Amino acid sequence: MCNLPIKVVCRANAEYMSPSGKVPFIHVGNQVVSELGPIVQFVKAKGHSLSDGLDEVQKAEMKAYMELVNNMLLTAELYLQWCDETTVGEITHARYGSPYPWPLNHILAYQKQWEVKRKMKAIGWGNKTLDQVLEDVDQCCQALSQRLGTQPYFFNKQPTELDALVFGHLYTILTTQLTNDELSEKVKNYSNLLAFCRRIEQHYFEDRGKGSSSIRSS
Amino acid sequence: MRLGGPPRGPCSGPSPAGPWRSPGRVQGCEKPQSRPGSTRPASPGPAAPSGVRGSPQPGRPASARRARPRTLPPFGTRLWSRRRPPSPEALGSTPRRPASPRSSLRPPPLVARGAGRAGGAARGRTEARGEVLPGQRAGKMAAPMELFCWSGGWGLPSVDLDSLTVLTYARFTGAPLKVHKVTNPWQSPSGTLPALRTSHGEVISVPHKIITHLRKEKYNADYDLSARQGADTLAFMSLLEEKLLPVLIHTFWVDTKNYVEVTRKWYAEAMPFPLNFFLPGRMQRQFMERLQLLCGEHRPENEEELEKELYQEARECLTLLSQRLGSQKFFFGDAPASLDAFVFGYLALLLQARLPSGKLQAHLRGLQNLCAYCTHVLSLYFPWDGAEGPPPRQTPAGPETEEEPYRRRNQVLSVLAGLAAMVGYALLSGIVSIQRTTPARAPGTRSLSMAEEDEEE
Repeated sequence: MCNLPIKVVCRANAEYMSPSGKVPFIHVGNQVVSELGPIVQFVKAKGHSLSDGLDEVQKAEMKAYMELVNNMLLTAELYLQWCDETTVGEITHARYGSPYPWPLNHILAYQKQWEVKRKMKAIGWGNKTLDQVLEDVDQCCQALSQRLGTQPYFFNKQPTELDALVFGHLYTILTTQLTNDELSEKVKNYSNLLAFCRRIEQHYFEDRGKGSSSIRSS
Repeated sequence: MRLGGPPRGPCSGPSPAGPWRSPGRVQGCEKPQSRPGSTRPASPGPAAPSGVRGSPQPGRPASARRARPRTLPPFGTRLWSRRRPPSPEALGSTPRRPASPRSSLRPPPLVARGAGRAGGAARGRTEARGEVLPGQRAGKMAAPMELFCWSGGWGLPSVDLDSLTVLTYARFTGAPLKVHKVTNPWQSPSGTLPALRTSHGEVISVPHKIITHLRKEKYNADYDLSARQGADTLAFMSLLEEKLLPVLIHTFWVDTKNYVEVTRKWYAEAMPFPLNFFLPGRMQRQFMERLQLLCGEHRPENEEELEKELYQEARECLTLLSQRLGSQKFFFGDAPASLDAFVFGYLALLLQARLPSGKLQAHLRGLQNLCAYCTHVLSLYFPWDGAEGPPPRQTPAGPETEEEPYRRRNQVLSVLAGLAAMVGYALLSGIVSIQRTTPARAPGTRSLSMAEEDEEE
């Protein structure tokens, strides 16, 4: 959205390369910056920012909504991937351990699962059932949908970091094949969110010629 | 509609859709409570301060605040019976915890609610505390909801964030909760505080769920919010949880000076005897673990850097809140909503506790509108709690209290006890000749009988 030239590189040990242990991270010159927040700051320091046109109250709202997405959608995704037994067994273990040779793939997968479960317990999601999680996702999507309303982007005409974040999450949810599609069904209930994702995909990604799964095909 | 209009409960007709109404859950008007104009002001009566619960305060008119000024008779049994035509659930129900000692023999206290002001009137109905009068419809009434929470200190109704939030929400909506302020988490039905025991006997201890339950019971502070405001509420609550919560935990439980001088001191004084040795330490460990897991992702090598980052984000968050609040009375206009309860919980703790190293406190004090907001809510909804002193202490028999006078006193007492024991033994066994100035005990070796005789003189 900022028109910055980037090259996407996929690596199996990306998590370990990152300074904070999380992906994504960018490598610019001799600096490595990870996670959305710091990356945004970094880019801003270099002079590109999407949210310059917002006033203070709107910036506050934007930050709040970004936290909401992080809090709810991210956690729900993590929950679904790592705490829901069917998904874990069929998809996550295989996917997470695929770059590694035999014993390592199991070990790393179990380790990651244990870590995620611990985190879930700490924030209080440990006892939630899948239905409750789905309900939370629904609430979150409802909130986002209401905030978006009929506008093209969350803060009217220009996309901001919030749009990028929401797009990232929703796109992933909509295009990832899982054992049960309830999560993506929840998102699909909100037509303006769907339209929003399509619009961004068309606008910013159509020239990539990815050919990989797009929203239309799911 | 806020000020004196019909009570907030969603019983006013079919609810407009808002995200907060979850149409599946709330059903229309099956509990026409407080409708027929019976307006007992809610008596928020916390258990701790001085027997307010037991003392009916007759004749205090319900209000300067709402358009329902009725002077209420002290033992409003009639009102009670009119107030709550039995709801379907109450009818069928429950053996109401027969031994519930607190609810059985007490007349309903009629404390006028809050400072009763017209401005910023709380939403929600004003109900009396749900207590069953002796011999009165005991079988038909649903058990009142009971809330167990940490008791108050530092000028606040409760020292724990979650308890404070839930209490504030309950005050905002006028929910008839019987509040038990305890200092011993083992006394709560679920082992943790806050805990809500609902009218059906189930126990809820997650604060969000408690508030959801209150909403289900038609005590909904978000009734009037538009959909967009509802979405904003969710967003801001996430913001608070992500940014302010870690710092709050850090300030009260991890920062050594604060912990030793303020937090642990309060908890150690408040808790009953054997618990005050190990519970605060255990709580600290739990909080530290939680903190680590919460912000464990960004883990710069240095503790200090982590702290700086946390505080930086918290300061930003406070500034954001301040900007959002602007010059309004509450976040969404003139009436408080659930977001206000959460924000108030965080801010009040940060502002009121007298922290020795309060960097965030300093920043918060600089944000005038947030400070004014806090004091406003405190004075409006917790007017007498501000005057509460530290929780009533149990008899300080243990030698480990950290209070100066007690330690001194205990030292003196133990010395005296030792002396008396020695002297008594010496005299009784007659082996010691003690030179004493007091004539009652003559010097010199004495036989047992003579010593006794002397003592009898």
